[in-house]
Amino acid sequence: MVKIYRKIALYVLLLFVGSLTVFPFLWMVATSFKSMGEVFRLPPTFTSSALFTDRMWDNYRTVLDQHNFLRYVLNSVIVAGSAALGQLFTCSLGGFAFARMKFRGKNIVFGTLLATMMIPVEVTIIPEYLLMLKLGWYNTYLPLIVPSMLVGSFGTFLFRGFFENIPSSIEEAAFIDGANPWQMFYRVFFPNAKPVSASLIIIAFMNNWNDLLRPVIYLESNRLYTATMGLMQFKGAYGAQWHLLLAASVVSVIPLIVVYISLQKYFVSGMLTSGSKG
Amino acid sequence: MRYGKVAPWLFITPTILGLVFFRIGPIIAAFLASFTSWNVFSPPQWIGTSNYVELFNSGTFWMILRNTLVFSLMYVMGVMVCGLFLAILVNNRLRAITFFRGLYYLPVITSTVAIGVVWSWILSPRFGVLPNVLADLGVHNIPSFLGDSRYALLTLVMVYIWKMSGYHMILFLAGLQNIPEEYYEAAKIDGATRWQSLRHITLPLLSSTTFFIGIIALIQSLQSFDITMAMTEGGPNYASATLSFFTYINAFVHFRMGYASAMSFVLLIIVGVITFINFYARKYWVETVD
Amino acid sequence: MKRNLVIVLLATLLVASLSAFAMAEQITLRYFMWDPEFQQMEAELIRGFEAENPNIKVEMTALDPTNFWPRLAAMAAAGELPDVFSMSTGYIDTWARDGLLLNIQHLVDRDLNLDDYFYNVFAEDRFPNKDTSDMYAIPYAWVGSVLFYNKDMFDAAGLEYPNDDWTWDDFQNAAIALTIQSNPNRAPEQYGFWWYGRYSHVEPWVYANGGRILNENKTRIAIDDKAKEALQFLSDLTNVHGVSMAHRDMAGMRQQDLFPLQQAAMWVDGSWMIDHVRTVAGDSFRWGIAHVPKGPSLEPGEERSYYWPDSVGIAATTKHEDEAWAFVKYLIGANRPVETYMPGKVPIYKDIAYSEEWLQQDQQPGNMELILELGETPVRTTFNMGWSEWRGYASTGGAGMNGELDAVTNGQQTVEQAIENITRDGNAVLERYYPEP
Repeated sequence: MVKIYRKIALYVLLLFVGSLTVFPFLWMVATSFKSMGEVFRLPPTFTSSALFTDRMWDNYRTVLDQHNFLRYVLNSVIVAGSAALGQLFTCSLGGFAFARMKFRGKNIVFGTLLATMMIPVEVTIIPEYLLMLKLGWYNTYLPLIVPSMLVGSFGTFLFRGFFENIPSSIEEAAFIDGANPWQMFYRVFFPNAKPVSASLIIIAFMNNWNDLLRPVIYLESNRLYTATMGLMQFKGAYGAQWHLLLAASVVSVIPLIVVYISLQKYFVSGMLTSGSKG
Repeated sequence: MRYGKVAPWLFITPTILGLVFFRIGPIIAAFLASFTSWNVFSPPQWIGTSNYVELFNSGTFWMILRNTLVFSLMYVMGVMVCGLFLAILVNNRLRAITFFRGLYYLPVITSTVAIGVVWSWILSPRFGVLPNVLADLGVHNIPSFLGDSRYALLTLVMVYIWKMSGYHMILFLAGLQNIPEEYYEAAKIDGATRWQSLRHITLPLLSSTTFFIGIIALIQSLQSFDITMAMTEGGPNYASATLSFFTYINAFVHFRMGYASAMSFVLLIIVGVITFINFYARKYWVETVD
Repeated sequence: MKRNLVIVLLATLLVASLSAFAMAEQITLRYFMWDPEFQQMEAELIRGFEAENPNIKVEMTALDPTNFWPRLAAMAAAGELPDVFSMSTGYIDTWARDGLLLNIQHLVDRDLNLDDYFYNVFAEDRFPNKDTSDMYAIPYAWVGSVLFYNKDMFDAAGLEYPNDDWTWDDFQNAAIALTIQSNPNRAPEQYGFWWYGRYSHVEPWVYANGGRILNENKTRIAIDDKAKEALQFLSDLTNVHGVSMAHRDMAGMRQQDLFPLQQAAMWVDGSWMIDHVRTVAGDSFRWGIAHVPKGPSLEPGEERSYYWPDSVGIAATTKHEDEAWAFVKYLIGANRPVETYMPGKVPIYKDIAYSEEWLQQDQQPGNMELILELGETPVRTTFNMGWSEWRGYASTGGAGMNGELDAVTNGQQTVEQAIENITRDGNAVLERYYPEP
């Protein structure tokens, strides 16, 4: 009996907290149906007059048909997806090395990695831009993918933390079984890091998706534009077309939600596996 | 342990490549730029330490530095507590828990612009829900949460915490999931309450995770530009501006890239020292699994 | 025999001239502009230009202002500026000083009939001296400051609408009569007026009183007594008469919404806001525009109006000077469709500005020719190098002179203290850009 009360209490709590987190998103969705003049009202209104009429999907139609938005979203999926997977590769390997291996200069390299996270992008972007021009990477996706793929400082930090936490008994057992470094990584440690990997993909994907500065300075051809640049079309010099901006924002958020939800299956209460033989 | 001499370097080759080519180069360039007057569109001019001198003589800079430290301290503590709370909440095997995990993550992915608009409305002195409710409850002298220089920074921190709690929820969740179930089962058999399990199993075993989530939160607190821009634009009169905002303004609005670089390196030194101290103190409170 | 020879010669001539024509160079111009909202209309414009000039192709990129400037600066750093790009009054001085813009004075003198344009505002694109120096960019449109007023609220209060003879006392009395506060413990439901430190709210009053904020050379802050009188007038409206809200109370509302959402009966801002008021207010109330009332200290002959241009510039490094200039002439000239001008933004080419399509007398406010009167008087502005730093604008709107005046509306400091701070901090900035005063 107590168990059921506990469950109900838990659900109530979950819902309450949920209500606190969901309302701006709800506003975003609700406003995406409004007409331009309806967006800013005092006192603010919630629903659109166009709801459940023929005009309901007008903003979405405009955004998708006239402004090529789906193309931009697809571009972002490719760019952010590549960057996220690349980071997974680089950061898991690097994090493992920092966590479990001994080598000279380890702390210096790790310290440098950490320090580079603390420099804001605004002061490094112009030198980076000049470098990319020299490399001939202007107007391609390379500047958007390769740096974040290769240097996920945050991701390396994340993996190092988790890999450090795995009991050395498991490592010892694998060594006794004759595992080499790669096998140790791939068959013992990495499989145990599913929640971490999922977190990294979610976060790296989102960070890359939301980057506006790099697409703005590196992309010139309209067909290459990412979703964030697509959103920019709705901002003018004198104000924004809020109704279209928000409709596009909702479309733009969907891939992020999809990635998040689909990776949830890796967040299952973990039994640490000891890995199989090499 | 027994990985040999070559393997470590092989494993970090991509990282090193990226560091050398895409991070260290631009950072050195930025460091050199901090000794120049550079408006970006024209070549830089060497001015020695003038930028740093100007910084240390600038009342605005000291105020903003103080704001940054207050902001970071409050943010790190606030977001970690909230993140951990949410993670514990959603670490239950309930039906539809994925739905709730998604719900709590929504603020992280909701566009900052939308968050800025909605929260500004809620807190608006004239029509906002919060001030009006407080007035109805009889509270006097309700401040303008975003417009009053005494409260703007705190309000901004709270909105940022609200936004990012879901992000830290995921990280803590991953950490929680690394704690083997056996420990909890053993504790239950011994008759421990949920609270005792939390205190004696979860928190200690989570300490390593907590440590680096803290570092991540610290670094995030230095990236508050977007939320500041959306909610207060650093106002009124820089009362809610942190170094993140001030750096952007100086780099891309005033086009004083040299000055912006100088303040970034001042910040780097401060944060570097804090982080170093944290790493050093780590062995005193972080427990490892072994 | 001879006839065949003639035919062959003619044929050869024909072929030769045709192939020469076909080999006429195909030139591509890069054009960057900062208003994505008008991107599609500009594209139409470009198609028109390309039709008239088949050997020129124009590639346009549109970025919103926040992203436009970093991008352009990065391109300039790499020496890769586009051929033609938008230029604003806030940055033109620095860009001209650094040699990034083409000096177009000789082209203007050669090709343009100045009477066809609102010539006065060309001054803003001259460098270094606004009256005598060469032009480094050319306006395609300009905007001026006007007084918006809510006719329904005036009617309800039984007041006459603002007119050109209004004094500041008339204005103040109207504002007081239009402020409605039924509960003394709560804020007024309706404010008579609305202002804060923003440049388009403050400068018009200073100039209407014949005052100056900068010195003659526009190199130092030199707020004179007439300007101070204007600032004191505005401050009293808020702090003494309570007809305008403190800046901290407007948090959470966009400044440009207060008038269209009927929170205030009067508002001074730029004429481009006409479009915004129409969009937000629709037909919910009747409104009009008037000139900012002349101040008590204005001497005859001292009239200066506050209006400023949006311009286009040509990169100094362009390889296609003639083609770029041809395109610029098209952008500012008679061919540009009226629809590409936002309502309230005045075309630089007079014929378009005075046309029925632009005047739109069938729509509110119905008297846009009032704006055009501004263009016929000499212009004065505060734009100079470092303007965004000392004035406070857009994303730095809470700082600089803007922030100091906001503090005055909050009752946190007096006008004297604000002027002291503005002068000290503003000159610290200006000394960097103008080592000599």
